[in-house]
Amino acid sequence: MVATSQIGKRLADCAPGATGQIAYYAGNEIGAKLMAMGVLPGSMVNVLRFSPWGEGLYIKVDNQLIALRKEEAACIVMK
Amino acid sequence: MHRNEMTPIRSVALIGNPNSGKSSVFNQLTGMRQKVGNFPGVTVDKKTGLVALGVDTTIQLVDFPGTYSFYPHSDDERIVVQTLTHPGDRNYPDAIIYVADMTKLDKHLLLYTQLMDLGLPLILALNMSDVAEKEGVKVDVERLQAQLGGPVVVISGRTGQGIDLLKQLLADWATNGAPAPASSFYRLSPAEMVIAREVQQYFPSLNEYQALLTAHHYNWLSHLSKSERDQVANTVSAQHFQSLNSQVEETMDRYDRFTPLLRQSILSVKENVGALTTRLDAILTHRVAGLLIFFGIMLLVFQAIYAWAAYPMDAIEAAFSFLAERVREGLPAGWLSGLIADGLLAGLGGIVVFVPQIAILFFLITLLEEVGYMARAVFLFDRIMQVFGLNGRSVVAMISGGACAIPAVMSTRTISNWKERLITILVTPFISCSARIPVYTVLIGFVVPPERIWGVLSLQGLAFMGLYLLGIAAALLAAIVFKWILKSRERSFLLLELPEYRAPLMRNIWLTVWEKSKTFVVEAGKVIIVISIALWALASFGPPGSMAAAEQEARRQSEQYGFDEHQRDNLIAANRLEASFAGQLGRAIEPAIRPLGFDWKIGIALITSFAAREVFVGTMATIYSLGGADDEATVRDRLSKEKDPITGELVYTPATSASLLIFYVFAMMCMSTLAVVKRETKSWKWPLIQFLFMTGLAYISSLAVSVLCSLFSVLCSLFSVLCSLFSVLC
Repeated sequence: MVATSQIGKRLADCAPGATGQIAYYAGNEIGAKLMAMGVLPGSMVNVLRFSPWGEGLYIKVDNQLIALRKEEAACIVMK
Repeated sequence: MHRNEMTPIRSVALIGNPNSGKSSVFNQLTGMRQKVGNFPGVTVDKKTGLVALGVDTTIQLVDFPGTYSFYPHSDDERIVVQTLTHPGDRNYPDAIIYVADMTKLDKHLLLYTQLMDLGLPLILALNMSDVAEKEGVKVDVERLQAQLGGPVVVISGRTGQGIDLLKQLLADWATNGAPAPASSFYRLSPAEMVIAREVQQYFPSLNEYQALLTAHHYNWLSHLSKSERDQVANTVSAQHFQSLNSQVEETMDRYDRFTPLLRQSILSVKENVGALTTRLDAILTHRVAGLLIFFGIMLLVFQAIYAWAAYPMDAIEAAFSFLAERVREGLPAGWLSGLIADGLLAGLGGIVVFVPQIAILFFLITLLEEVGYMARAVFLFDRIMQVFGLNGRSVVAMISGGACAIPAVMSTRTISNWKERLITILVTPFISCSARIPVYTVLIGFVVPPERIWGVLSLQGLAFMGLYLLGIAAALLAAIVFKWILKSRERSFLLLELPEYRAPLMRNIWLTVWEKSKTFVVEAGKVIIVISIALWALASFGPPGSMAAAEQEARRQSEQYGFDEHQRDNLIAANRLEASFAGQLGRAIEPAIRPLGFDWKIGIALITSFAAREVFVGTMATIYSLGGADDEATVRDRLSKEKDPITGELVYTPATSASLLIFYVFAMMCMSTLAVVKRETKSWKWPLIQFLFMTGLAYISSLAVSVLCSLFSVLCSLFSVLCSLFSVLC
């Protein structure tokens, strides 16, 4: 249960190599788009690497590989 | 409400997620019987093909852009919703084939369940059966069919497996009619139901779900009239309909319902997905190695269009000049032989000569796309290109632009964001293409001495590089300007699926190469031929009598100076060009280009080199009556001796040449590119804007160079006067 007031960590703040489960989306617009691609709350995410200029993330969600920007990743709240 | 009667199907829509292998399926079903058009009102490609289903049964198959759901984010994806919520649409299908990647069914079934709710006959085609087999993915088709209540076919767009089964089903539907889905998938929430019912009152032909989609998307659905849009808007606000919330709820509900179904029918799941892909990407998307490899690949692409295409291009040019020579010999001299040889054949040759470059570039780009590499390039360059309002894929277009802007502009099709694509199209011609090289070669000699720094670096070579860099800088700066000016309703984001690496399917590549080359020859060709003939007419005709007078004058002079036949013909050609409409135009624009340091002769060359920049050299050769001697060294030699008849000063001073060089770096002097931009943007507005801003920039920069040069020379003479004064005083 939500015993502490701590806000879940955002995917954008995860380091390469980090693994975790999506809790929910902060922002319905990106959330809707992610869900359409099959990235759902509860999906397992693995941050594989950052792009050369550090503003892009290369992630693995369940069985698919996805590239997204930090802005988008900031809308993904992890468990 | 579902249709009870079974009507035979005539047209079928092919729909699927991006990367579902849809285009392979399309190619399998239609073979070569396909054509590319566009959806009304937007620049989205529409591929249509005929599927033969027996002796005299054919159906039309329309390939829709790949999309993930009915809640689209780009113009491409919107087309799908636009068409499917408008039963009166020309492209509204009688039935739908939904292509899903069998190995990713848990993601790809979302759109299928949305399509179920349209009430149209629907086939689920489980694609990539060959990959599934290799990876040990098994699907219980019977069970899935029973659960979904619609036909399911296992196919492979790659090997052709199952395509016959799919065709049999289509044949049956084309003769006996097709059953609509037994029931819809999603149950509208009470609030959604209310809104759908209200919308249905205005649009009785829509079913519940289509009405709901109309309530979601009324803002941009282009088939709605102003008053219809207002009606829906009023309903939406009166009911406090929360579109985004309802959208998320609907999507969640669909996943929640089909995921358990799939658990029963997917018999085995592959375990370590894309192990090879992940290993490859550790290098290919590495922040250092990835960039190096990308530039290596681009170097290869550049090399291919720049050097390898030269052989077929030379052969084509030789063939056309041979043909033109035959025409001149075969036909009596006169306007007809001129029209055919210098107007029609020159125009045709000007089109066909680009085909090798276009074919090679598209072969390589499609190859990179097919194996899955392009998505990685986007990932690598997204950030840096974002600064300039461009897309990761713009890098490919801009590098290709170094060979030729025409295939480069055509290659922007793969950029899905319209604004990013438009900016790429608008700025790519700034990159110095291979046609500018002859012009640079002739003129650089006047500006830069043939010396070397430290005995190694050629100054002229450095100047050459400087011109290229200038072009690149102009492209990027212009991109930033357009980024600020152009408005876009599309929010910029990057959520890109990186497909697993696959061996390329050569049939898909050849079809693309064929289709691109054909489109260029037919579409751009029409414009180019017309302009080529117009330019020929301008250079061959003049005000009544003046051409004949010019010719007579040339003959008189030839006799006077005792010229041989060759010299006489060259002088006649030069005088005729001078007296022609093109010559008149050259004189007419002289006041405008005088400040840049150009005379009317350069004016003529500017006008004719609109056919293609390299024509500059040939025109200069004709004006200076060098006849066929149009190699660069001879032209340069002749130009270096040209003097102003009034002042007696040399015309091709370093200042004039520098000004002309800068003009050629920036000016939009290529009708073929403009024709292609018109074709790609589907309007004359953009090529016109492009022509004006590029040529405007060229004019201003040229003027600046010219003014600076004369300031500099004034300062120099002042300085020398001062020096001599000083020495006298001393």
